[in-house]
Amino acid sequence: MAFNLTRRKFLQSASLAAVALPLSEVIASESGIQRSPLETPGSFQDKTVVGGICEMCFWRCQLTGKTRNDRLVKIEGNPKSIDNGTAICARGNAGIQLLYDPDRLKYPLKNVGERGNPKWKRISWDEALKECGTKLKEVEEKYGPQGISVFPHGSTAKYPMHFFERAVGTHNVSEASFFQCRGIRDTAYVATTGMPPGEFVDMPNSKAILLIGSHLGENVHVSHIKRYIKGLQNGAKLIVVDPRYSASAAKSDIWVKIKPGTDTAFLLAIMNYLITEKKYDQDFVEEYGYGFDELAAGIKEWSFEKAAKECDVPAAQIKEVADLLAESAPGVSIHPGRHVSWYGNDFQRQRSLACLTGLLGAYFVKGGWVPGKNPKVGGVSWAKKEHEGEHNLNVDEDDEYLHPFSPPGTPTELIRDAALTGKPYPIKGCVIWGQNPIQTIPGQEKMKDVLRQMDFVMCVDVMPTDATMWADILLPEVSYLERYDYIKTGTQWNFADKQQQYISARMPLVKPMFERKDQVYITNEIARLMGYEKDIPVQTVEEMVEKNLEVAGLTLEQLRKEDGIHIREGKNPYQMPEDFEVMFYNEDIEDAGFPGIPTYVTVEQPPKGFLRLLYGRVPVHTFNRSQNNIWLNKAMPDNPVWLNDALAAKMGLKDGDVVGFVNQDGFKSRTTTTVKTTPGIRTDGVYMAHGYGSSNPLMSVGVDAGVDDTSLMTKITVDPETGAHGMRNNFVKITKDGKVIEIPASA
Amino acid sequence: MPSSLSTDHVSTLYRFCAQSMQYPEPNWFTAQYLTSLSTLLETLGGKNEVRLLQKTFDASLDPIEDLQVEHTRLFINGVPHVAAPPYASVYLEKTLKGKYSEEVLLFYQSHGYTMTENADLPDSLIHQLEFLSFVAEDQNRSAEEEFLKRFFLPWFSTFSARVTKEAQHPFYQIIISIIEFFTKEEEEYGVQLNEA
Repeated sequence: MAFNLTRRKFLQSASLAAVALPLSEVIASESGIQRSPLETPGSFQDKTVVGGICEMCFWRCQLTGKTRNDRLVKIEGNPKSIDNGTAICARGNAGIQLLYDPDRLKYPLKNVGERGNPKWKRISWDEALKECGTKLKEVEEKYGPQGISVFPHGSTAKYPMHFFERAVGTHNVSEASFFQCRGIRDTAYVATTGMPPGEFVDMPNSKAILLIGSHLGENVHVSHIKRYIKGLQNGAKLIVVDPRYSASAAKSDIWVKIKPGTDTAFLLAIMNYLITEKKYDQDFVEEYGYGFDELAAGIKEWSFEKAAKECDVPAAQIKEVADLLAESAPGVSIHPGRHVSWYGNDFQRQRSLACLTGLLGAYFVKGGWVPGKNPKVGGVSWAKKEHEGEHNLNVDEDDEYLHPFSPPGTPTELIRDAALTGKPYPIKGCVIWGQNPIQTIPGQEKMKDVLRQMDFVMCVDVMPTDATMWADILLPEVSYLERYDYIKTGTQWNFADKQQQYISARMPLVKPMFERKDQVYITNEIARLMGYEKDIPVQTVEEMVEKNLEVAGLTLEQLRKEDGIHIREGKNPYQMPEDFEVMFYNEDIEDAGFPGIPTYVTVEQPPKGFLRLLYGRVPVHTFNRSQNNIWLNKAMPDNPVWLNDALAAKMGLKDGDVVGFVNQDGFKSRTTTTVKTTPGIRTDGVYMAHGYGSSNPLMSVGVDAGVDDTSLMTKITVDPETGAHGMRNNFVKITKDGKVIEIPASA
Repeated sequence: MPSSLSTDHVSTLYRFCAQSMQYPEPNWFTAQYLTSLSTLLETLGGKNEVRLLQKTFDASLDPIEDLQVEHTRLFINGVPHVAAPPYASVYLEKTLKGKYSEEVLLFYQSHGYTMTENADLPDSLIHQLEFLSFVAEDQNRSAEEEFLKRFFLPWFSTFSARVTKEAQHPFYQIIISIIEFFTKEEEEYGVQLNEA
């Protein structure tokens, strides 16, 4: 587009005044620039801001920020921290790129196109909140509170989740951190010891560490890794059970290259050996154990030979592991893992880990499972109102729980099935808050169908993830670097050091940009519009944090004075609670129709010609939360697929070949990745990092980078005791140039 | 040669361009605004552009909403992705609020200006045009020239090319052309001094 005169001629022309006058009449008087006293040319001074708590992953390291004017220029570990100290990981450093990502959500958006194929229009907060409040109220009035489903994730999602659960009264809340991650672990340990296990193993002071599938090093949480490395430096023996030669396996004394899905058989054989050879901690079992005889009798069949056959590992190696654990007991760290929703037989595996820890007497002892004694802070949120229980999808007509050991909330699959069938009731409203159910939950097309049939879908997020494409209203949330909310408490990372406790509250390092808002503001406004104003527990997020700190005798001002972290004297972490008990046999589990002692349940093996799809983490990504981060993307732009080198040679594939996948249901991957050939993986599976291959073009860095493993999980498996997903039961063939590369019969 | 009166008009032109890049709302995107825009375009010899705009608006059931969708897609969040964020740092440093944004703020401050409390980022196109309008009003031509050369022109052509390529509605292509018209020539000839 070009104009037929020059600026100079235009400015000299008589018509300038005639044009300028009407222009001046349509210009708004306000401006973003204003006159101010003249400043001497120079530069802004750097300032250190304390109080940051990371959320590039859930570990939440303590931070300080270097700011220049109001711009965050660097993130560092808080030198006062007795947890992560001055160290933060690559993702923590890259938080700045999240903060200033041009693709980040900036203003409330309304979808004037269709769900899944949105056309966004910026709207005001008033309009956005009114739409959310009105539409959700309509769903509540028409279908009851149970007609609203909530998919929350992260520290900001707790407050809105409690609003919908406790004040409005829907059971239909499904947290990915429970149902697609750690919920099974927590309920299995609660059913065994009465306590969720966290990752509380005293690795620095351990004589032996057992990791089942945990790939520490690829899975980086700073103080967690510090514990692990300190333990290895102090001479702990490392046993890694993994079908893949992971970063941990590379440091191990024993790598058990186990057949996927058979871990429980492996653990039962070890426990049977310890019992029959009387190598277990008899005093501990006598004092704290319950149901030992039932366990001993029930796992008698599990010889090393039987397990070896099932697990496809040498019997001698299982014995070697069992002897090493027995020799090292009680100072052994049986790591409970974290993401454990693998095969749909996971509750029993987690029970086995908890029982093995008990047989070794490894609770509350140096080097064993030791949760630490954390300081107490408040937990202000929405009050629990009385709601009728009949709309709980996890309870059948006879008032029996379908998944009696479900984590809090409702199993995702029950919500999705009800939404799709309308039975026992319709689910027509959906609130997605910080979760990306398209990329975290197996069965992507099913999830899309669930969202399609909703009357209303709202999303609150920091980034335009795949799930946000399905929103009617999309609200921009402040990031962890711009808000108050979470209070992190804990102890010094190494229990061998002086016993100390810390309390730190997340405080903003910089002010929010654009029109991003926090969870308390958004939730309260929606609550007002839905008629729940009188139930609002706090007016601001700052007030919430102050009230929670008050329980510990602290204020935000005091914390700031103390450089963001309050440190006080700690308590002996090894003190065993008075009523501590290990339930080797649990009658409640049996009464609910499941095995009362840890029991191995076989899982489907790959059909001929297929490979099991395994996935995991890399140190520079936290699944899809970080996939659009340009620094992290540069560090690892895609997720190469690990393929056994001998098998690759037979298939005619080599390093760097570009491949796609087709799964057992004929579902083809939308994108491709490259092959990484290695002897470090079994021949019955392939492995790739999770959290790649976003399909949302709004993620201009992450879109189409690598393959989305979740998209290939069309077969849905559910762990029966908990209702959580099993996510490693899908099988794939490799494609190249659109053609399937068959696995030769000789392989 | 431009007189001091004409520098006021230059100031108005910059402010009009800044206004045109604001999110389209009925309170300013009025029939009067469109008439003023048409007059400006006709004076510049842009009759075809006037016809194109008129045709596009006439064909629309909701011209403002169409423009809002286009503005959101081009400048805020859009599919396939935000096409042309109107912030200089994105083009010079591949991030929002880069070092450039700090330097541009320092430049404003050293010439007696700063951001208001609810302002957008200092390196936004709108605020850069507003700053230019203020220094034009002050008849501070050296500041205007320096700002254009040091800060505005190094990124605007990349931004302008993206808008031109990605825009699906003629409005923003036309506005960007007008901005280009009033800023690009400065690169070639410098700001004309008032020799009177």
